[in-house]
Amino acid sequence: MKTNLIKIRKTGLASLLFVIGLSFINISFAEDAKSTQGDFARGARSWVNNCVRCHSVRDPKELRDDQWITTSFHMRMRAGLTGQEVRDIIKFLQMSN
Amino acid sequence: MNIKLTSLACLIGFAVSSNIMAQTELEKLRSEVDALNKKAKEWEAFKTPKEKLQQDVNKLNSKAREWEEWKAPKTLVHLAGFADVSYVDSRDDSGTFSLGSFSPIFHYQFAESFMLEAELEFEIGESGTAEAAVDYLTIDWFINDYVALAMGKFLSPLGQFRQNLHPSWINKLASAPAGFGHDQAAPNADVGLMVRGGYLMESSNSLNYSIYIANGPTLEANGNEVEMIETPGLGKDGDGKKVIGGRFGMFFPEPKFEFGVSLATGEVSVRGGSSGSYTYDATRDYDVVGMDFNWRPGSWDIRGEYIQQEIGGQSSSVAPDSGKWEAFYVQTAYRFSKSNWEAALRYGEYDTPHPGQDVNQTTVGANYLFATNLVGKITYEFNDNPNTGLTAADRLIVQMAYGF
Repeated sequence: MKTNLIKIRKTGLASLLFVIGLSFINISFAEDAKSTQGDFARGARSWVNNCVRCHSVRDPKELRDDQWITTSFHMRMRAGLTGQEVRDIIKFLQMSN
Repeated sequence: MNIKLTSLACLIGFAVSSNIMAQTELEKLRSEVDALNKKAKEWEAFKTPKEKLQQDVNKLNSKAREWEEWKAPKTLVHLAGFADVSYVDSRDDSGTFSLGSFSPIFHYQFAESFMLEAELEFEIGESGTAEAAVDYLTIDWFINDYVALAMGKFLSPLGQFRQNLHPSWINKLASAPAGFGHDQAAPNADVGLMVRGGYLMESSNSLNYSIYIANGPTLEANGNEVEMIETPGLGKDGDGKKVIGGRFGMFFPEPKFEFGVSLATGEVSVRGGSSGSYTYDATRDYDVVGMDFNWRPGSWDIRGEYIQQEIGGQSSSVAPDSGKWEAFYVQTAYRFSKSNWEAALRYGEYDTPHPGQDVNQTTVGANYLFATNLVGKITYEFNDNPNTGLTAADRLIVQMAYGF
């Protein structure tokens, strides 16, 4: 049992280091991705698929354009969204506002 | 004599004629000045509306800049959160009005790189005094499109209910599932570092992950038994042993079905003493295993979750026994078409090393959505203790919840 637990911990730690390492390797690639603009159609799809995972869909007119930015980044942390999904959703919400 | 008189007369005559000439010049000059004044007034009359027009244009430009600033500023501040008020009637107790909680969430975002998030929680206790707590406070660094690093106190990413479903305007029923409340089977929060993000796959399915290393929980003993595993997010790692863990979720085979697995491991110890002079006995194993799913076919919302926290034995501890706290629930909700009404049904079980705390719970509810973020709920819990001779009280909860 003790040996199994040690194995689980080592595997977990290795996974953590792998993901962190991957993230830094990805930085240059992601910098390019950052410049990608949001897309209205993709944003509408992501909005429908992701928001209702937990709560009722919010009307785009409920918040101001700038408030949708912070709200979407907050949801990036809550829902594990990608940066591109966030930009798409912001584009959709602001254009529908 | 005559000469003197003649000279005097000439002098007077010259003076008088000079005066007449000077007056004529003066009149001429005065009329010229009047003409110039008139022209100046005409110029002013022309100039004033031009300046006013320019001022109006400047004002409009300024307003336009302000408008653009709202749309794409470098720093953003936003207040969000939720609150709820309730009436609770239990078979064991008299009915009471209660203020569930007021939980403002502050967002301070710098460009697309960093965000400070903080959720406070205010509650009013039985004595009427207010209690405040920091539910979470993190500085998030969006490293790239696929990775974000959260530093600080965060809601436990293990499972779904604690991190995503606990806000009262989101929860389909007016209470947490049995075992998913504070310091029960599901870990609540932790202090440390967390990496999280997601990846989109070509098939339009996606996966998401969160991995953390943190101070971990502590154990509270009652006599020679561990009463509970406390997971409030400890500000100090008293036992010096970290916990690592995380959750991996995947949307598969379609974007509306998600399945998640949670794991965590580390060491914990029993905490004794009081605030400021805590003592910690020898550490023991600590492991968490969880699974969850959610599925949303049409107007249905179907989800379930299992979580288990287990501690090993420690012979030198004041509470030497091992123990396991586990809970699960399955829940379905249906939003009636062209209506603001929603029905919800949940079944769950909570099993602990203490028979008196075990609960089998069936919960039914009806919700009216005044808006998507403003919900009135009527919830009834049927609670049973599965152990012979023990009971658990049923509860009726009427709640109004507002997410903002």
